[in-house]
Amino acid sequence: MLRRSFHAMGTDVELLLDAPAGERAEQALDRAEAAFERLEQVMSRFRPDSELSRLNRDGSIADASPDLVRVVTLALEARQATGGRFDPTVHDALVTAGYDRTFEDVPAEAPAGPDRRVACGGAVHVEGLTIELAPGTRLDLGGIGKGYAVDRVAESLAVAGPCLVNAGGDLAVRGGAWPIGVAEGLTLELTRGAIATSGRDRRRWLRNGEELHHLIDPSTGRPAESDLVRVTVLADSAADAEVLAKAAFLGAEVDVPRVLVTADGRTVLAGGLA
Amino acid sequence: MTDTSHRLYAVALALVVFCVTWAAVAARPWVTAKPDPRIAALAQREQRLRADAKLVEQAVAQRTAAYRVALKQRRAQIAQAKARPFQAAQSPPAATASVRVVNLPPLTITRSS
Repeated sequence: MLRRSFHAMGTDVELLLDAPAGERAEQALDRAEAAFERLEQVMSRFRPDSELSRLNRDGSIADASPDLVRVVTLALEARQATGGRFDPTVHDALVTAGYDRTFEDVPAEAPAGPDRRVACGGAVHVEGLTIELAPGTRLDLGGIGKGYAVDRVAESLAVAGPCLVNAGGDLAVRGGAWPIGVAEGLTLELTRGAIATSGRDRRRWLRNGEELHHLIDPSTGRPAESDLVRVTVLADSAADAEVLAKAAFLGAEVDVPRVLVTADGRTVLAGGLA
Repeated sequence: MTDTSHRLYAVALALVVFCVTWAAVAARPWVTAKPDPRIAALAQREQRLRADAKLVEQAVAQRTAAYRVALKQRRAQIAQAKARPFQAAQSPPAATASVRVVNLPPLTITRSS
């Protein structure tokens, strides 16, 4: 079993490849690592020269890369499918809440700021390689970008053998059987598909004495209030799992295998897992 | 002297009348001129060529219009294909996720991303 770890997209990435050690496997892992870097350069809102930053700054982009077009399209489809519980237009709400830089640089206690609701749900038009945002609308792809990257990389890495790609908890497998720790004492063996977890137990900070986190409720424009601590969802793709996990955290009824961890410490298996 | 002059004038006039009459008779104005068959053939060929040119122009116009429509469609397809990551082509058709609870040490973990 070959294992490679590195930092990308603001999180720890882990590649597991069930293949004999050798140049071919190393090249496949190199390509996978390079793909993460390339996709981060497309989708990061923290890199001023990324494609997403250019789109957010200019309000439109005419020569978007196919990856940006695809992930924005997926995000818009997810917004539609979840009735707006997942929404890529939460950028300004996140910034207002204090998540205005890479999470490593967000202070544990953010300076006091305005406590206001930020409207989400602005219009986004995609046609060919052109993306246009309604005035005042900016995108954050943090809720789907890692899953998208995991899917892409898993697909290419699978050429070298059965593999697992894990980007900070959003993971996908191709071939093989992979035991994955989901919660304390709970391990799921995944043979196909993907798993993603969303929750408020990480990426949280204090502001004005209030604990805030990165899961924005688009209906309020503020960090979501929930009795759940985190939700783990199983789906066909990591991008889908990531979207469904967020929607489930926000209270959507999702008909997929899932693991809910509640604020009082209970772990609930649902969607056919129990 | 005068008679001699008159005779000369008369002879000259007769000669002129004779020549004019000869020319008129030689011209045979009562016979309709027969058209040159080569010119007629050339005229026919010109008409055929003009008709052929019109047909060619129509065919070219139709094919150009069809080509432009096909080009537009193809460009739209190319734009869509560019916008679609290669995963669409490479992904296995809608693999359904498969999982079960096991009692094994995990190889990796999932956590809030």
